[in-house]
Amino acid sequence: MLNIKDLHVAVGGNEILKGLSLDVPKGEVHAIMGPNGSGKSTLSYTVAGRDGYDATAGGVTLDGEDVLALDPNERSARGLFLSFQHPMEIPGVQTMNFIRTAMNAQRKARGQDEVSAADFIRLIRDKAALVGLDDAKLKRQFNVGFSGGEKKRMEMLQLAMFEPRFAIMDETDSGLDIDALKMVGDVVNALRGPERGFLVITHYQRLLDYIKPDAVHVLAGGRIVKSGGPDLAKELEKSGYEQFIEAA
Amino acid sequence: MSSVLNNPTEFETALEAAFNARSKTSEAQAAAFDRYAKLRLPNRRIEGWKWTDVNAVLRGATPAPDDAPDAAVPVSPFAALNPLEFRIFDGRIELPNEEMPEGLRYGVMDPVATIPELETHAIATLNVAMTRKALGLEVCEGVSFERPIHIRHFTGGAGFAFAQTMMRISVGARVQLIETFEGDGAGLYSHLFHMNVRDGGECRRTVLQETGAASVVNSICAVKIDGGARFEQTSISTGSRLSRHESHVHFWAPGSSASINSAALLSGDRHSDFTTDTRHIARDCAVRQLHKGVARDRARNVFQGKFFVDRKAQKTDAKMTANALLLSDGAEANHKPELEIYADDVECAHGSTVGALDEDALFYLRQRGLSEAQARALLIEAFIGEIVEGVGDEGVRAVLAGRVSDWLEMVK
Repeated sequence: MLNIKDLHVAVGGNEILKGLSLDVPKGEVHAIMGPNGSGKSTLSYTVAGRDGYDATAGGVTLDGEDVLALDPNERSARGLFLSFQHPMEIPGVQTMNFIRTAMNAQRKARGQDEVSAADFIRLIRDKAALVGLDDAKLKRQFNVGFSGGEKKRMEMLQLAMFEPRFAIMDETDSGLDIDALKMVGDVVNALRGPERGFLVITHYQRLLDYIKPDAVHVLAGGRIVKSGGPDLAKELEKSGYEQFIEAA
Repeated sequence: MSSVLNNPTEFETALEAAFNARSKTSEAQAAAFDRYAKLRLPNRRIEGWKWTDVNAVLRGATPAPDDAPDAAVPVSPFAALNPLEFRIFDGRIELPNEEMPEGLRYGVMDPVATIPELETHAIATLNVAMTRKALGLEVCEGVSFERPIHIRHFTGGAGFAFAQTMMRISVGARVQLIETFEGDGAGLYSHLFHMNVRDGGECRRTVLQETGAASVVNSICAVKIDGGARFEQTSISTGSRLSRHESHVHFWAPGSSASINSAALLSGDRHSDFTTDTRHIARDCAVRQLHKGVARDRARNVFQGKFFVDRKAQKTDAKMTANALLLSDGAEANHKPELEIYADDVECAHGSTVGALDEDALFYLRQRGLSEAQARALLIEAFIGEIVEGVGDEGVRAVLAGRVSDWLEMVK
């Protein structure tokens, strides 16, 4: 599914990813853990196509297609979703209008019909209830005045709405309480299936109590330094990242 | 006949010739022309005109022939609101072709002899000298005139045209006024609007500046606000070769309020200037002013806002904000917020920002599936949205929102 091979990425002239390789097969959830500054967010931005995150070597494919050659919106239409670590407030942009425009843009690019207004409203109400967002919040400008937790719920709302083929969750757990963590787990677990993949980026093991990963990787110094099963996360929680920082 | 102008430009020579050729000129108009001869067209060395150099763009313009055939009148963008429509073609006034509705009086009248507060304003002075006939409008006492009044200004040909409108909103009367500036003229169109909102009256004014890229437009609206009255103004401009819309809002009696909002949507080489001078002569008046400018290519957005607060105008509450969004390296925004305050118990504030589209927000929207063009359009629309949303009337608001979408579609 998502295949990253020997990826080198420079941001502002500094090489952050230094030969990262990773393979997430269809139907699996992989977790990436690592210390601050190891390149976790650089990885998610590069795969999503943010300007200024330039691959100097290596490649990324999604089901065999070269992702790096596509515009961010084309990647989105192919089913690649990024849950942002710091979702921004966008004043003046009406939430419902934006999500519907985004949904229809993705559908149009895939040759599907637009979703009708009635179907859309039904869908977004269902999903808002699922992620614990008040209907009133949907009528507001996008994320404006929302708490950190509410912004993360808005990310999960979009994940549930778009049902992407592959989702990268960049520290979705940061700033969330236990109830919200459980909600994130519920949303992801409901979407898990043989055709879908997830890459869960996190500092801590606790989110992985709710989303059981198939594999855990340690990212340090711009490359994957260790891979293992779910137990690796627990081991890291005890021993910390120190050993890997030194090794990197 | 010898010239009263010292070293006139080609434009001024033509102006003077047109003035002298007139069969009927009042003494007041002759005096105004003499005053103009001392003032002359503003250039960039004149404070208040440093970013809008009228003299430079008008040097070579020559007068429009009086019998220029009128172009076909396009369907009004506000047609769905069934407004009472007045038309001014290069200064020639056309009244509505229907019976005068109850509660409203109007007609064609002689122009004003002078507007004291604008005596040092060169174009206003020229307007007083040159205007042949004025449109007069009165909303009668206590009348809430429901149908919008729409004044459509058309500019055609090259040269210059002058017009005036005088309007009184009588005690306790309410009215919705729409003004559109249309046409493909290539010369100067000067309109002087003298308005009085009497005690307890209310005027909601909407202005759409949509003339072609070659025209030079100066619209001056002088509003005298009496006690307990309300004046709400929203202007949207797509600029022109040079367009300057001025509002001179004077609070003469206590307990009144105004909102003066404007947006400029500029592309190509277009220029828009919103200049306002709000004068608080009486106490307990409030004003809110918001300006938003979007400029791309080599366009220039000018905003000059001034609050003057007389020492008698205690408890004045005045806030001004101007934000500009520059979409190209060659685009420009010039903002000049100004406070001049002589009273000690007042709340006055102003703020001004100039920036580009937020890259973080753009990436976010694109990650969700919007194309770059869609994402940019959504953010620009969001930026301008506050101006459109501020319009109280649903019908007018819908038309303005449509104009913004059309512009975004055009520049996509």
